[in-house]
Amino acid sequence: MKPRSLVQVLFLFFITATATAIFSYGQQQDQSKVPASQKPQTPKTGEQVFNNNCSRCHTPPMAISPRITGTIVMHMRTRARLSRQDEKLLLQYLAP
Amino acid sequence: MPRGFHKQIRWPAATIAIVVSLACSLRAQTPQVPPVPENHAGHVPVISGGFAYIHNVNGGVTTLLPQINPILLVPFGSHVLLESRTDFTGFFQRENQTSGPFKGKVFKTVDFAQIDWLANSHAILSVGKYLLPFGLYNERLVPVWIRNLQDSPITAAIGTRTSGAGDGIMLRGLVLQRSAYSIQYSSYFSARSGVNQLEAARTAGGDSSIYLTRLRLEAGVSYQRFLQQRNINSVATYISWQPRTVPLDLKAEGDFNYNGRGYWTEAAYRLQQLPIPALARNIQLVTRMQQFFPLHGGGNSLPTVDTHRIDFGLNYYIRDDIRFVSSYGRSFSERGNANVWNVGVTYRFLFPLFPARKK
Repeated sequence: MKPRSLVQVLFLFFITATATAIFSYGQQQDQSKVPASQKPQTPKTGEQVFNNNCSRCHTPPMAISPRITGTIVMHMRTRARLSRQDEKLLLQYLAP
Repeated sequence: MPRGFHKQIRWPAATIAIVVSLACSLRAQTPQVPPVPENHAGHVPVISGGFAYIHNVNGGVTTLLPQINPILLVPFGSHVLLESRTDFTGFFQRENQTSGPFKGKVFKTVDFAQIDWLANSHAILSVGKYLLPFGLYNERLVPVWIRNLQDSPITAAIGTRTSGAGDGIMLRGLVLQRSAYSIQYSSYFSARSGVNQLEAARTAGGDSSIYLTRLRLEAGVSYQRFLQQRNINSVATYISWQPRTVPLDLKAEGDFNYNGRGYWTEAAYRLQQLPIPALARNIQLVTRMQQFFPLHGGGNSLPTVDTHRIDFGLNYYIRDDIRFVSSYGRSFSERGNANVWNVGVTYRFLFPLFPARKK
């Protein structure tokens, strides 16, 4: 297979994957079409912080001993540039 | 002190000063948030890291690559953290490349050794040897247990000269955070060092990205100025997207500097949502495409001729921390095309440095 053909195949895969993701995201949005003004304002939870940030690379829920949770979250706060508030919520979620 | 040194550090110093001022002023604007209930998290020193054994065949030449990368994390209270990662990688090839017994050695490298002061949400100060925050790869995807494909992108050498790390000071944190998005920054200045295990070049630069929380889409830009010998600017732009509803991981990065320009795109998909036998749902399919075009003859760890490469990977997660990895890549260039195979296993470990006291 020529390089150009391989590039085209790969490009098609990338586009298909992106389209699938956009389609599924759109479906999710349609299911919850409630005006923002009518939605109750709930405070952010540790689980949301985990899902928004950590689960991009790590699978939830992570089995971390509570003894080391504080150290791990400090390390990840430095790497992922998380806020102090998000750190507290994560600690509450991972080591309640 | 070398001639022109003050002139060279003037703008990075000014950048850091502006960022610190901004961080301080933003801190004053931080809205009041509800208190979070107490937790039972401990701050015990930790040994973490990854182990991998990779069997690599590149253009018919076999290389065995056992490696272990332990990370030591020692907290001092809840605001100061000492962190260090050392890389031990064995590099074994046949004596005559394709025949004879395997011979080689183990290379030891201190990847980073830094002290972090987590001052507030807007300012985290790191001092010591730190990983250069340039693009997606160097700081985030280098660990063997995280990366989807074991080979680095061709453009990974852009913006990370000379050792991938800097010796000096780095400031990072949040510029602002809203429910829909957040903006992060990193800025650093590194001094030139030839000290064993602390090698670094005199560089200054930064990285900034916006993260759209609901979409889980991040877009960012990195800049570095190489401040020794020939002063070189390096720029990277990148996006990273992990949709909520599909186990898909999309990443793309474009890099440019004096020696060349190139890009890579990577897509990884785990089959966990498909109606297939449970065992097969642990499979992850990966593909990466990349192209590099040298400028001014290339060099500095970059190819000297136009190079294109595609990779296909298949990883199998036995558990979240253990997986089998495999990939096939084909590299196209004027110097000749080559097949690159990788097969191996990666393991991520994490345990406290001290055992718990018996009650």
